[in-house]
Amino acid sequence: MTAGPPGVRRGETLLRTSAVARAFGDEVAVDGVDLTVHAGEVHALVGLNGAGKTTLMRLALGMLRPDRGRARLRVVPGPAVDARTAPAATWAQVGHLIETPFAYAELTVTETIRCAARLRGLDRHEAATAGERVIADLALEHWARRRVRTLSLGNRQRVGLACAVVHRPRLLILDEPTNGLDPAGVVRVRRHLLEAVEQGAGVLLSSHHLDELARVADRITVLHGGRVVGGLPPDGTDLERQLFAMLLAADGDAAGGAAGAPGAAGVGVARRDGGGR
Amino acid sequence: MTTDGARAFGAAVEVETLKLRRATAARVAGVAVVVGCCGLSGAFLAVARAGGDSTMAAKVAPLVHGTGWAAYLGVVAQILSVAVLLAVGLVTSWSFGREFVDGTWGSLVAIPTPPGTTAAAKLVVLAVWGLGLCLATVALAVPVGLVVGLGPPDGAALGGAARVVVVGALTVLLGLPFAWVSSAQRGYLPGIAALLAVVVVTQLVTVAGAGGWFPYAAPGLWAGMGGQTAADAVTGLQLALAVPVAVLGGVATVRWWQRAEVR
Repeated sequence: MTAGPPGVRRGETLLRTSAVARAFGDEVAVDGVDLTVHAGEVHALVGLNGAGKTTLMRLALGMLRPDRGRARLRVVPGPAVDARTAPAATWAQVGHLIETPFAYAELTVTETIRCAARLRGLDRHEAATAGERVIADLALEHWARRRVRTLSLGNRQRVGLACAVVHRPRLLILDEPTNGLDPAGVVRVRRHLLEAVEQGAGVLLSSHHLDELARVADRITVLHGGRVVGGLPPDGTDLERQLFAMLLAADGDAAGGAAGAPGAAGVGVARRDGGGR
Repeated sequence: MTTDGARAFGAAVEVETLKLRRATAARVAGVAVVVGCCGLSGAFLAVARAGGDSTMAAKVAPLVHGTGWAAYLGVVAQILSVAVLLAVGLVTSWSFGREFVDGTWGSLVAIPTPPGTTAAAKLVVLAVWGLGLCLATVALAVPVGLVVGLGPPDGAALGGAARVVVVGALTVLLGLPFAWVSSAQRGYLPGIAALLAVVVVTQLVTVAGAGGWFPYAAPGLWAGMGGQTAADAVTGLQLALAVPVAVLGGVATVRWWQRAEVR
């Protein structure tokens, strides 16, 4: 897998949110989050349900207007652009899967992926070729001619992932991408993501599976109550214990009137050795 | 429209056409309109020509104005004015509302094809589909007319067929604004509810005698639903009101898709 046009080098910032915040009525979903995703890395978000992961991803994709702060993208050469007003050329280098996959019950798997490719700027020939490639990459050949309505939840998720990556985007934003997948499917998806990262793509990923994150993430940022409360070392031990300790500390700080953990800069904690995947 | 914009619109039309072709709702509605209109019209005309004092003959008589092909195609136009509104309104509501109900709306945002372009493509595909139903109805009406014994189509048949197409096309336009209801309310049921409400209001306005100026009533009245006198009273301006209604509904829908958040 390649990762889009030349001009954005490995390590450069593809996505930056700056003090971004969003509330729904009285409910504060995201509260002043600074976050970056660089080319050639997987940045993982963890947190309990309602922590603000999905809202943060939607803000990063311009799907929601921030109340404060901003989300900016730079996935093609040139200045960074605001996510709410980003041009088609920017979106041609972004792939996403947020909650529900691009899956139309009446279409076959092949048709669905080709439709996704067409809407992501590929011409008919490119869409057909890219569709075949990604079907093979994600081991969907057996279901290629089946209607999406006949697929299991896990295979629908895999189709959604295929749609998100079919145009070889430079930035991937994936909300719990391995939801419903069997272990073999998880391995396939992991391999696919890591190949993309190897080629220079940046990935923002959320998951509740800490062991899975430990295998793919370069940085893990912990969200809680819409705020960044710290980071976890991907190569650390007993991440679950560390996560709950961090969340308890954050709740204690909030109760004491000091929201957010000291030193939580919103950049996650980086993998120390770069290996272990 | 820029080259990139045209390319995106072409891709969106291609995708929406495939989705509509595969949709059971569109197939069922299409068959119901084409076969239902022609079958009912042929049956009504046969009953009317048979005369007699049956209840059916009494009910059919007010629908049949004149004789021969003109009378028959007049009945086709009347039934089509209701059937196409229901079919296009329902399938339009479904096409837009299902993106929210199925959760696919988020996948149509933050991609090179802007959501407003997808909405415009849906409207164009639905309009072409609806117009196709009207043309198919005329095409099937001819053999059905021969079967019920009208003889070879005459000059009046040509005028009647043109009226069927005009009534159908105007009604197709009137079905498109339900896209806005389904979008703004994020589901197809609100669109379908609005469609049913419009059908009821149309009946009330027509009974009240103001139907000509109510865009949803004018095509049916012109087709003969209120009798020949009411049909003759409908003006071109009244019929043309369907165009601004469709344009307003379409623009509102596209703007909504351009600005809406994914929640």
